[in-house]
Amino acid sequence: MTSLKRSLASDPYASNISSKVYVRSTKSGKVQKIVRELYLRQDIPCSSKLCTTCIKTAPRDASGNLPPFVLSEKPAGTKKYPQGHYLIPDTNALLNALDLFEQTSAFYDVIILQTVLEELRNRSLPLYNRLIGLTKSEDKRFYVFFNDFRLETYVVRDVGESINDRNDRAVRRAVKWYTEHLTQAVKGAGTKAAKIPAVVMLSDDKENLKKAKKDGIDACSLKNYVEGLENADQLLDMISVVKEGRELRDAKTAEALYEEYFSVSKMMTGVKNGTLHQGIFNVSPYNYLEGSIKVPAFDKSLLILGRENINRSVQGDVVVVEVLPRDQWKEPSTKIIEEETMNKDENADAEEGEAVVTERERKALQEEVKKVHSKSSEGRPQPTARVVGVVKRNWRQYVGHVDESSVSQSIKESRKQQTVFLIPMDKRIPKIRVRTRQAGEIIGKRVLVTIDSWDRDSRYPVGHFVRSLGDLETKGAETEALLLEYDVQYRPFPKAVLDCLPTEGHDWKVPANTDDPGWKDRRDLRGLQICSIDPIGCQDIDDALHARPLPNGNFEVGVHIADVSHFVKPNNAMDAEASIRGTTVYLVDKRIDMLPMLLGTDLCSLKPYVERYAFSAIWEITPEAEIVKSDFTKSVIKSREAFSYEQAQIRVDDASQQDELTQAMRTLLMLSKKFKQKRMDAGALSLSSPEVRVEMESETSDPIDVKTKKHLATMSLVEEFMLLANTSVAAKIYEAFPQTAILRRHGAPPKTNFEELANQLKVKRGLELRTSSSKELADSLDSCVDPGEPFFNTLVRIMATRCMMSAEYFCSGTQAYPEFRHYGLASEIYTHFTSPIRRYADLVAHRQLAAAIDYEPLAASVRSKGKLELVCKNINVRHRNAQQAGRASIEYYVGQALKGRIVEEEGFVMKVFSNGFVVFVPRFGIESLIRLRDLAEPEPESVFDAEEYVLRTSGSRVVEVGLFDKVVVRISDVKEESTGKRKVKLELVKVGEVDTHE
Amino acid sequence: MRHGEEHRENNFAGPNPAKALPHQNTTPQHYNTTQQPPHTIPMPLDTSTYSLALLRLDGRRWNELRRLTAQISTQASADGSSYLEMGNTKVICTVTGPAEAKMTGTGGGAGDKALVTVAISIAGFSGVDRKRRARNDKRVSEMQTTIAEAFCETLFTHLYPHSTIAISLHVLSQDGSLLAACLNACTLALIDAGIPMRDYICACTAGSTSSYSSNDEQADPLLDLNTMEEQELPFLTVATLGLSDNVSVLVMETRVQVGRLEGMLAVGVDGCKQVREILDNVVRKRGVKILEGSQL
Ligand SMILES: [Zn+2]
Repeated sequence: MTSLKRSLASDPYASNISSKVYVRSTKSGKVQKIVRELYLRQDIPCSSKLCTTCIKTAPRDASGNLPPFVLSEKPAGTKKYPQGHYLIPDTNALLNALDLFEQTSAFYDVIILQTVLEELRNRSLPLYNRLIGLTKSEDKRFYVFFNDFRLETYVVRDVGESINDRNDRAVRRAVKWYTEHLTQAVKGAGTKAAKIPAVVMLSDDKENLKKAKKDGIDACSLKNYVEGLENADQLLDMISVVKEGRELRDAKTAEALYEEYFSVSKMMTGVKNGTLHQGIFNVSPYNYLEGSIKVPAFDKSLLILGRENINRSVQGDVVVVEVLPRDQWKEPSTKIIEEETMNKDENADAEEGEAVVTERERKALQEEVKKVHSKSSEGRPQPTARVVGVVKRNWRQYVGHVDESSVSQSIKESRKQQTVFLIPMDKRIPKIRVRTRQAGEIIGKRVLVTIDSWDRDSRYPVGHFVRSLGDLETKGAETEALLLEYDVQYRPFPKAVLDCLPTEGHDWKVPANTDDPGWKDRRDLRGLQICSIDPIGCQDIDDALHARPLPNGNFEVGVHIADVSHFVKPNNAMDAEASIRGTTVYLVDKRIDMLPMLLGTDLCSLKPYVERYAFSAIWEITPEAEIVKSDFTKSVIKSREAFSYEQAQIRVDDASQQDELTQAMRTLLMLSKKFKQKRMDAGALSLSSPEVRVEMESETSDPIDVKTKKHLATMSLVEEFMLLANTSVAAKIYEAFPQTAILRRHGAPPKTNFEELANQLKVKRGLELRTSSSKELADSLDSCVDPGEPFFNTLVRIMATRCMMSAEYFCSGTQAYPEFRHYGLASEIYTHFTSPIRRYADLVAHRQLAAAIDYEPLAASVRSKGKLELVCKNINVRHRNAQQAGRASIEYYVGQALKGRIVEEEGFVMKVFSNGFVVFVPRFGIESLIRLRDLAEPEPESVFDAEEYVLRTSGSRVVEVGLFDKVVVRISDVKEESTGKRKVKLELVKVGEVDTHE
Repeated sequence: MRHGEEHRENNFAGPNPAKALPHQNTTPQHYNTTQQPPHTIPMPLDTSTYSLALLRLDGRRWNELRRLTAQISTQASADGSSYLEMGNTKVICTVTGPAEAKMTGTGGGAGDKALVTVAISIAGFSGVDRKRRARNDKRVSEMQTTIAEAFCETLFTHLYPHSTIAISLHVLSQDGSLLAACLNACTLALIDAGIPMRDYICACTAGSTSSYSSNDEQADPLLDLNTMEEQELPFLTVATLGLSDNVSVLVMETRVQVGRLEGMLAVGVDGCKQVREILDNVVRKRGVKILEGSQL
């Protein structure tokens, strides 16, 4: 037997091959050893436009294209590097201050090393993605240099050397190589004019900087570097304070305020064997010291009470908790606790002697415990838990404003760095400690910050400023704040997206010649009497309808939807952008489109009097609203009229109107009523959420009034046929693609969700709420009436709505058929098809339907289950955010509309706490808290009867407030100190009716 | 524009978040170990970074083979043997025969041709996960059939009626392109065994730089995939006969857009020619050694 040992000498590759061994642990806890080959090479270019050698060996792709060189031949200079410079940041520099690198005022010509990129990816995926985004933006000139594949810059880990040290060494080696290479390249080129740019390593690691000095390479800490830039003050604030802070604290060896987190392996084992639980941490909107977590093991949420137990978790974090002993279980609080009132006037700099729980907080909690203990009859204590570790931080950028009281007056004017508190708009986020030199300037501004860290010895998280959005309460700043808070992509569409639009622009027309490829497999429906019915002022018309009698006494009804998938092809830049945006967002004064205007409001929009491409669903329906057959086709239509709901209603009601269009609308109305009845019989719910419209002055677009929306029969008309189209399409695409159809489901709410409401109705009104099925719920909601108070039923419906689950998009292969059910609509299967201009889900459904009817092959991206799941996940989030942003916008404008006015209105009590109650005002669709201390000065005494949901006060003011009670409130507006939002403030005038003589 | 149906339906979109009951909107999440790896060694990037610098995960360009080394006559006891490495995929091949069947009817070629049998054993330690493969593992038996059929066509089996040529493959390490490595190892071992054949069967894999679902029209074709690449990208295994463009084996089990297939195939066939040159060198070197030996 010959030896298998290979002779390396004869191998031309040998000296260039290295191998890397990775150890990774899998989800199931197994450890894998992965051996990877590395092919080292010398043809990886430096990508500097100064270099003439690299270009000769630079790689080409399979089509022979040479990627252009990135780094400028004349990079910007600084005081320290007047000859110009390239930057090479290490991993920590990026981790601490990626915001800096995204600035447009500095940080150009940056070399990102492969070593750094890999490390960053392992440390933070979101940052990694942002960095990849930077490398793709041409104007920032970021170049990824694969140093670990280049022979000269590859570094072998020494025995005993830590991986971090090895990586630092790799970075320094790359910097050195670049410096030498550029010197050579410039000299080699022979042109004496060119200056050799400095290659500067950016690092915050002292050791690394020291070694760099020894190696004779240019290196700089972020802080030093930024200080040499023009707008240094502003940029300096963006450097994370983590590093500095830590050093500071090490010196002081400050006392730890919070329990240490468990190790990852301890948490994993605990979760696996069921002694610990994992879930998403949620903060109560009424009590910032009360969190909860829903874990798979229990059907009710676990409560997490108090700062110590919350242990540095922030809203949205994925945490691991440990259940506390039974004697520490308790009911969720019946008391409103707001951070602003508890911890006013704290000094942000006061680090010493800081206790986790202030004395006042502790007292408040004790009272709570007492109360719960005193009433054992009905109260079933809930299990409580404490956080033992964080699996994944869900920190994002937060919008907020500086707590003015935390800024010291004496140095407001000076540029000295100081620590201030930033109060986020989102009340569930704790205040953030931020070090800044611009305290004076950013008071009264909306600002964007991020959280950098939260250590055991710091009571609050530590973060840094990103940028200022503008003055508080200016329309621009508040709108941008809202968009940022709800992560709405509001930047203008990039050029790559606009390039996907038809070149004809607004002149695009349906081809006159029916032999044109655009007409292929399209039915010519231009002869049909089609019209659209929408809210006033609608520009993006997704849908249009028609109906006509058939000779056999049945009707032909068509729903025609804008053919967006004709214009937005899968996987081009426009499609990618739309899939990220997911939905159009409607704010009171602004619409943030999912698709460029040209499509949304013109080419796709089913405008009247012009021919448009459409996707049509056509049914034969009996006069009893039975569907005989359904048919789907791509089509060309010409809408005869675009009605508003009101116009349509007037036409239908006017008996003198006997034209074809009006007749068709009457047919549709007749059928829609029957469809609606059938849905109701099947158990569809008719729930309610407060809906108001803000009227704007047309010139200034200042809000002037708030109106509740009126319901018209023509609204139900459109609604019913949209539901019909959506259900029909859902069935069709599911039949064609059982694994990959995009559908929408609405889960049945767990019984426990209704427990409280059912009890409230029973105690207060003797009404029974049955929830075993949607039909039962619908029926019992119908019976929840108060003969004396017509609004009572709506109030109950609003409250019931909040007990519901969220509807969600999903891919059919991920659920069993019974789970497809849409609880609210009482439909077996459902999807979104009717609004492709403004919802991405509909666009996907269009593509699937087109494939299902053999109009075109199915695009790969909507055939892959994995890909679709990602799409669904994203649009579910986007959808929710869009709704929340819309509501927040209305809330803001209602506040603006009421600015400077004082009105008395009637309201209803929705929730009673031991120290306040929540009142809902139907006229403005607002709900707000009235606290005991708002009732009178001094705060009245009170007795809270939790069983009867009644709060009785005595002393300075005597009132009795019970759940569902009608009250009269005085509405004015105030600027809420805690969040900087202008908000309506309610004051209790009296319990009962408005006096009639007034 | 929005109609009531959405409003109606959105009614079920759960509570208003700012006023939400605190116990909703939570979904259980599983551990995601990639977020916080317990080990400090960073995991490498994935195939999505190709476009950044036209470099693959191991530093190769799109049209480069991994290091391919081979030896023949590695086991004196066998009639023919070889050891072949394509990157970290390592295979030993031994050939027994052609041997005449001991009893008619129980094997041996059906009459006028030799029967080619292939047995593949994959070592438990060869992959990332240590696992035992069942003897009748489907993928393994499919590879066996593919190899046997390819060589049945190429070997002059008619010279050995009533005989069996038994090929046995031992996989020591797997890192992608396993079928290709097996085919190449077989070619060498069969040459070593001195069994006449039309020409070398040379194999390699070809893939595409972006996944099927990303549907990237700019995707480059790729030559000789390793495991990481095979897991993420579409690929095929192709084998050609000698220097001709005659394809003797073509296996593809992943989805890819038809438009990309041509480029992949062209790169694969070109790769096979490079492989042939390397194998041919190995054989010639061995030949020279034998000649030197005989002169001694
Ligand atoms: Zn160069």
